Amino acid sequence: MLKFEEEKVEAPAEKEGEAKSTRVNVNQKRLINCNAVDVNQLMPLKYKWAWEHYINGCANHWMPSEVPMAKDIELWKSDVLSKDERRVIMRNLGFFSTAESLVGNNIVLAIFKHVTNPEARQYLLRQAFEEAIHTHTFHYIVESLALDEGEVFNMYNEIPSIQKKDQFEMKLTEEMMKPDFSTDTIEGAQKFLENLIGYYIIMEGLFFYSGFVMILSFHRQNKMTGIGEQFQYILRDETIHLNFGIDLINGIKQENPDLWTPEFQKHIINLIDQAVQLEVEYAEDCLPRGILGLTAPMFREYVQYIANRRLERIGLEPQYKGARNPFPWMSETIDLGKEKNFFETRVTEYQSSSNLTW
Amino acid sequence: MKTAVRMLDNVIDINYYPIPEAKNANQRHRPVGLGLMGFQDALYIQSISYASYEAVQFADESMELISYHAILSSSELAKERGAYESFPGSKWDRGLLPQDTLQLLKEERGDYLDVDMSSKLDWTPVRESIKAHGMRNSNTMAIAPTATISNISGVTQSIEPMYRHLFVKSNLSGEFTLPNFHLVEKLKQWDLWDEQMIDDLKYFDGIIAEIDRIPDEIKQLFPTAFEIDPEWIIECASRRQKWIDMGQSLNLYIAEPSGKKIDQMYRQAWTKGLKTLYYLRTLAATQIEKSTTDINKRGLQPKWMKNKSASSEVEVEREKKDKPVVCNLEEGCESCQ
Repeated sequence: MLKFEEEKVEAPAEKEGEAKSTRVNVNQKRLINCNAVDVNQLMPLKYKWAWEHYINGCANHWMPSEVPMAKDIELWKSDVLSKDERRVIMRNLGFFSTAESLVGNNIVLAIFKHVTNPEARQYLLRQAFEEAIHTHTFHYIVESLALDEGEVFNMYNEIPSIQKKDQFEMKLTEEMMKPDFSTDTIEGAQKFLENLIGYYIIMEGLFFYSGFVMILSFHRQNKMTGIGEQFQYILRDETIHLNFGIDLINGIKQENPDLWTPEFQKHIINLIDQAVQLEVEYAEDCLPRGILGLTAPMFREYVQYIANRRLERIGLEPQYKGARNPFPWMSETIDLGKEKNFFETRVTEYQSSSNLTW
Repeated sequence: MKTAVRMLDNVIDINYYPIPEAKNANQRHRPVGLGLMGFQDALYIQSISYASYEAVQFADESMELISYHAILSSSELAKERGAYESFPGSKWDRGLLPQDTLQLLKEERGDYLDVDMSSKLDWTPVRESIKAHGMRNSNTMAIAPTATISNISGVTQSIEPMYRHLFVKSNLSGEFTLPNFHLVEKLKQWDLWDEQMIDDLKYFDGIIAEIDRIPDEIKQLFPTAFEIDPEWIIECASRRQKWIDMGQSLNLYIAEPSGKKIDQMYRQAWTKGLKTLYYLRTLAATQIEKSTTDINKRGLQPKWMKNKSASSEVEVEREKKDKPVVCNLEEGCESCQ
């Protein structure tokens, strides 16, 4: 536990004529506010889970250009899709194209500096690269379908339901960017925890999830399967991002229990409740009249169901009693193991070859 | 089997050939490929595990029987319709059946061949028929993957082990949930088939090894593709190959691939006399978070994580304990009134 009033643990004083002792004592490693050990030295590992997330992220490596888009292009250019269906796809491309960049920027500019542990930083670097790949994905989709890139990449300024979600997040990043920001005080460390929850739990854990359902719903009907497949890869990455985030948040809570005050918990629950509302509004905006299999009201329950899960995973009470997943078909779309036909589609059940041991 | 060979032979004449070369070749050699599907179903019906000597034995005997009748049927068709054009000088013509060619392979490879050469049937009638009438088809058997037609006809795929007991078949036509009906039936007999079991099957990706409620004797009978040592799959295929004049589309599975394991597996397939292989299936390092099952109640860290984090200590209360009862006096007490 970190006591804020106490002096920081100093590295052993160097003796004259001897090389400076910089050997890392693993017990002095801390997720935040660690001034005792050198953040440039990875080994010995203390938070092995962070390293494991990093290894898993590497084994899942993929590039958007591996996914064939020919069928999507054909469908997009045909008149099969209705105006409402096109709206759903465009809104989601618009939201995700910038959201992935916001997450990447927040890692590099806001989170990285304050996480004082090299193995956790190792994952953050991997995650930042994955965010770049995800942003690349939306560029690739926009290019493949010959969409108006100005329209897609400006939606976070021009479409209110997207703008509200993004501004909610950007405010959290700005707090970290203030020149006098530091995690040395309880208030500062709480602000940092709020940022982590805002990005890992709310942005990647909640704001992404209605969009995922909408795109997967197309995939399920064999429409826009290239985008659907890109989203399945992204979802696989996001699952690790979320789990790393949860482990980091719970780890910081455990090391600094005085941060997790009842008031702060209430504040977080309130924040998540605001996010649920924004996400429901986003779904309503995407689906003003509903499309085959999806209507806006279904998303209120879905978002609440997801929010309950997220709350529980950082040790808070679920707030939305009785919320269930209203989309049972997600069972076959993402829950069950898939046996794919190699001739017809790219098989997602693999690990990058660099992961092969001999 | 007779009808099947006759139908396949008819296809050669009825078929549309986009190029004359294909038409010429097909009509000169008249190859057909009779195969089989539902091998795993047949094992389930006999209560045999795929990973067992009984399965190897069954692969051998069932293929011998198919081979016997496929070749005999083609020869009888030759009697009726004439032998295929390039029959003279062929192995059939020289009195060599698929199982006889193993001897040739042995001479060529020496120690690098490790196959069983035993036989159960008396093949004299087949040999005599070929001697008398020749063969209608240059090739008669091949094991096809039957990835889609097996689903349409409701049997397990080709000679494959069960992929998982609950999984999704994903192809150009869409995604289809496939349960293992043999397992469902078995669990019903044991009174174990309920909502909880479906949830467990989802959580454990259609594999029953870690579901405590399922007794070992069921577990032993129902291993899935990634749990079966590839040696068993290769050994079954080796016994089958003895009787097949063409190859088999044989998929192999490794849950955690390593260069060493892959190397050993392919070498083994070669020394076991296999002519062909098909896909190598592996697993991804991690999965997408499951959406329709209560994942939190099973622990906050995903099941692939080997190292504990602080999340493992966050308690999730699922079964809400009933609120403490203020008064436990039975009905009929009048104290509070």
